[in-house]
Amino acid sequence: MPDFQPTQYAVPLFVIAILAEMVWSRLRAPEAYEPRDTLVSLAFGLGSTIAGALFGGLSAAAMIVVYEYRIFDFGDQWWTVWWAWSVAFVIDDLKYYWVHRAGHRIRWMWAAHVNHHSSQHYNLSTALRQTWTGTFTFGLLFALPMVLIGFHPVMLAIVGGFNLIYQFWIHTEAIDRMPRWFEAVMNTPSHHRVHHATNPRYLDRNYAGVFIVWDRLFGTFEPERDDEAIRYGIVKQLGSFNLLWSVFHEWIGMLGDVWRAPWRHKLSYLLREPGWSHDGSRETSDMLRQRWKDRMGHEPAALAVPVANRNPIAPPTEAA
Amino acid sequence: MILDPKVMQFGGSLIAILVLAGIAWGMRLGGKSALADEAAVARAATEVQDGFEPVRTSIARGGSAALARDDSGRIMVIKRHGNRFAGRILTRAARVREEVDGLVVDPGEASFGSVHLSLNDPAYWADAINRL
Repeated sequence: MPDFQPTQYAVPLFVIAILAEMVWSRLRAPEAYEPRDTLVSLAFGLGSTIAGALFGGLSAAAMIVVYEYRIFDFGDQWWTVWWAWSVAFVIDDLKYYWVHRAGHRIRWMWAAHVNHHSSQHYNLSTALRQTWTGTFTFGLLFALPMVLIGFHPVMLAIVGGFNLIYQFWIHTEAIDRMPRWFEAVMNTPSHHRVHHATNPRYLDRNYAGVFIVWDRLFGTFEPERDDEAIRYGIVKQLGSFNLLWSVFHEWIGMLGDVWRAPWRHKLSYLLREPGWSHDGSRETSDMLRQRWKDRMGHEPAALAVPVANRNPIAPPTEAA
Repeated sequence: MILDPKVMQFGGSLIAILVLAGIAWGMRLGGKSALADEAAVARAATEVQDGFEPVRTSIARGGSAALARDDSGRIMVIKRHGNRFAGRILTRAARVREEVDGLVVDPGEASFGSVHLSLNDPAYWADAINRL
């Protein structure tokens, strides 16, 4: 059985790439980095490896149990079935799309995933801003069908590692657009910048991991526009570089809401989308987008001309 | 003494991230953004709350923070966070304190913290916030 963790081998490349991007930033866009933000992002990455070491065994154990009930059997030497690796990679990426979409649309899942979005910057260090608390969601359920089909948990861990490595390089503003054929099929810096944006137009779009085709297929694709600057982060920016608050703030908020809510609404605070409230006092991403659309509708031809031309206070490429 | 490989890996990683952050600091990446004028406040305000259109603003000296009020009476406090801005629409939980050279606004959210603003018109804002 292969004993191989691709992410471990990729770490030196991550460091070199971040250094290279810092040099680019120094020359072209010093504001792309902020040292305290970078430190928090990297600490997230380090903490997530510790969390994985502490809690990852639980998921692995569950998958090994389920594997005993697999429908198809690739044999004792399953790792020699070359085509199974390719199939597993593609299906795992489809799984990633849905678990990621759930991570944005179900508050319990968002409580863990919000960590990845809480930086107001978008650079390669942001890619390492990984969750510490994923084990405490039900994300594992999305992987179990693949195990039931017959893909060995180790195979899934390895293809998942490659998926994660692929997603590292797309967290940058240093690359504008890739060739058209590549943008059509693959997730790219441009597509993923949209995903990290808080502009109402871009909220909850482009969930893809490796293949952007899933978003095109399931109706969540949004192309990046050149006439609207992206602002990164979360709708309610933290305004703090406190690492522990960054890790746990949404868990604390969610559990507080569950505690305070009337009984019939408690479950909704876990399972409905972030921003939902039983008294309508908050806004979900759908509500924010609709309000933005309504507002733009009151400004005739607002979308027909560049933002800079219709809003003289905004310099070119600033968001409206 | 032989250290556990995992402890060594953790230690090495910790040193690496401190070095990387130190390099970012040494290269003077980031800089400091400032709210230079009302247009800058308006841009920051609509990033905090889409569609928030200030009708009155006051910018702290140095541009590190601002207060803005829209035509529905909502008041927003904006502060510099790194080289970006973050803000909150103030609620009744907000507290305000006048000081010699300005105001200290506490949105009532410990993690966000209090915002110190050196303003020319602190009394107006103190009164407005106290009326929320």
